[in-house]
Amino acid sequence: MTILSNFQVIADNIIYFFVGRWPEGPLGGVGLTLYLASASCILSIFGGLILGLLSVSKKKWISWPSMLVINTIRGVPLLMVIFWMYFLLPAIFGKVITETRTVILGLTFFTSAYMSQIVRAGIEGIPKGQMEAAISTGLTHWQAMIYIILPQGLRNMIPSFVNQFVSLIKDTSLAFIVGVSELTHVATQINNRTMAFPTEIFFFIAVVYFIICYAFTSLSRNLEKRLEWRKAI
Amino acid sequence: MKNLVAILMMTAAVTVAAKSFAAPPADTLAEVKKKGVLVAGVKDSTPPFGYIDEKTRTIIGYDIDFIHAIARKINVKVELKPVTSASRMAQLQEGNIDMIVATMTKNPERAKQIDFSHTYFFTGQKFITRKGSVKALKDLEGKKIGTTKGSTSEQQARKALPTANVLSYDDYPQAFLALQQGKVFAMTTDESILLGLLAKSPEKSKFEIPNIQISDEPYGIGMRKGDKNFVDFVNKAILELEKSGEAKKIFDKWFGPKTDYHIQRNFKITADK
Amino acid sequence: MLSYKFDWSVITSGQYHEWLISGLKVTIQLSISGILLSFLLGLIVAVMRMSHLKLFRWSACVFLEFTRNTPLLVQIFFWYFGSYKLLPTAVNEWLNNTGFEFAAALIALTIYTSAFIAEDIRSGVLSIPKEQMEAAQSSGFSYIRSMQYIILPQAVRITIPPLVNQFLNLAKNSSLAMTIGVMELTYQARQVESYTFKGFEAFTAATVVYLAISVIITFLVDQYNERVLQIHKGA
Repeated sequence: MTILSNFQVIADNIIYFFVGRWPEGPLGGVGLTLYLASASCILSIFGGLILGLLSVSKKKWISWPSMLVINTIRGVPLLMVIFWMYFLLPAIFGKVITETRTVILGLTFFTSAYMSQIVRAGIEGIPKGQMEAAISTGLTHWQAMIYIILPQGLRNMIPSFVNQFVSLIKDTSLAFIVGVSELTHVATQINNRTMAFPTEIFFFIAVVYFIICYAFTSLSRNLEKRLEWRKAI
Repeated sequence: MKNLVAILMMTAAVTVAAKSFAAPPADTLAEVKKKGVLVAGVKDSTPPFGYIDEKTRTIIGYDIDFIHAIARKINVKVELKPVTSASRMAQLQEGNIDMIVATMTKNPERAKQIDFSHTYFFTGQKFITRKGSVKALKDLEGKKIGTTKGSTSEQQARKALPTANVLSYDDYPQAFLALQQGKVFAMTTDESILLGLLAKSPEKSKFEIPNIQISDEPYGIGMRKGDKNFVDFVNKAILELEKSGEAKKIFDKWFGPKTDYHIQRNFKITADK
Repeated sequence: MLSYKFDWSVITSGQYHEWLISGLKVTIQLSISGILLSFLLGLIVAVMRMSHLKLFRWSACVFLEFTRNTPLLVQIFFWYFGSYKLLPTAVNEWLNNTGFEFAAALIALTIYTSAFIAEDIRSGVLSIPKEQMEAAQSSGFSYIRSMQYIILPQAVRITIPPLVNQFLNLAKNSSLAMTIGVMELTYQARQVESYTFKGFEAFTAATVVYLAISVIITFLVDQYNERVLQIHKGA
């Protein structure tokens, strides 16, 4: 079985696929992919909440510019956003930013715009009467939003957040282009070194990505079903 | 929401001021001593200059040995950061790395942006082709030729072969893989790199490097513009390596008779000009 | 202190300007052919996914899950470098002579996007009351014909907003084709950067163009939507 023996290249490099040069060197491979996705996911949930709340504001001069920011980000390829971060971050922070952080911030910036739409939809899904009731009890608009509306909305948003996390895992593959040694980069390194097994290598990492992403996709579906069930009673 | 306005204004200001970064350290040598580590931008897929060793999962190669030798003279540790041809200059200028030791050819355009050390490796740009398919440069006219983004190889190839379709990949092995799969007619870059690719190829018998050279390629260590102390130090260090014979030892380790390449050392590290 | 001198002339005229324009052309070619093909494939997969035949349903399911849960970039690499061993030599030669870079990117983009489109169409179909299908079939239409004439036209209309989103994603995702040497807009912007060190200008130009593409597509679809909805209301 020549096909099986070709997969020897995977077995030979299996540790490198999963952790890169760690522990002697920096973390890479699947480990770094998960780190990049988790860090960006947490940050962009906050980013999404902020942008989302601003975009549903009643005041035009708040909602309008935030919608402009959101739509601008959504109109540009992620790859462009990452290249821009490369240019702009050192200027904003006044110091050097590592590629890993550049990518995390690029992913965060990009995903926040999409998260904000989830937040927006979640908030708009709560009946208007609740807001009116909350305000009539003496809460301000913002207090009502943060203590009454948002907590209910958040529960409905969870499945969508998980879906965004899946997108993030896939998007981390772009970090390869700026030289961050996540799974795709590690795969191209091994492919570059061996030069004879591109089919096996790229198929293998596709399967690895699939297993991780599918696990979270299923989780999100389960959560969605449970939410529906809750709503039904 | 003053914050938002502030953010928008900041973004605008930043957009205008882009690249007027807070300057990276002016005296890298002092900075490196202070932090105790020398951060070098290297290739991680370019045997035998810089590539990942399968067993130890660390980066090794000709370039890497030079970095270690220099770091020993400053008495600091080494941190290796993989860079690509397209990204290495920006990485240096933005201060992500202290020096570039990544098969980098010295040329006047680059010398306007960064400073180079004396030449520490010397080679020339050639082609890999299928055996017997190319006799002279004109056989490459109008053909698809693979190389790497942001490299001098790309610019030289366009100059030497104006009618060729020069196609750039992210790394040399990708270009070579494209050649093996027949996606390009030839690939071009520095002979030393071509030798490395060919030696590692499972199908090396099908390919050759015809004796067609389109340029000289002196490699230098890249450092930030005007970083005089550091440049002087590195120059002195590599001249010492030549004098002590260590530079030749490094060459023999990667290119000598015991290696797959077996090439003659036709240069010595000397002061430029 | 501005240490950076802007030079917009680099991108507004001359050789580098031409590079960017040619990149834009490739991006547009890739996007338009990708949109058409992925819509077609998405439609087929959606119909298979809802078919009564288990074999169709299952293969569509596997296809959908696998393509949606792997990164596009990996799929691009797989098609470009990985498909070589799976294809006969003659096919490889033919592909290589016709410019496989573009084709590989197009295949990957089409397959990736079609999976999302298929799911959007399916939810569109599911939102059409079941009785319509039953009525169509009881009035003598076959399953395929009822889909074709009754259900799908309605579903596609409902699905237009999410579809447009997918088309926009495809146009943006086409930037990944640069990794295999397709000389589209992002590739050329990077080329201009490495030849001139004027990355700021080049990336600004590319960004503005991408934004313009998004705005134009959104606008066109809004127009279409309004007209169709008007007709719908009028009818």
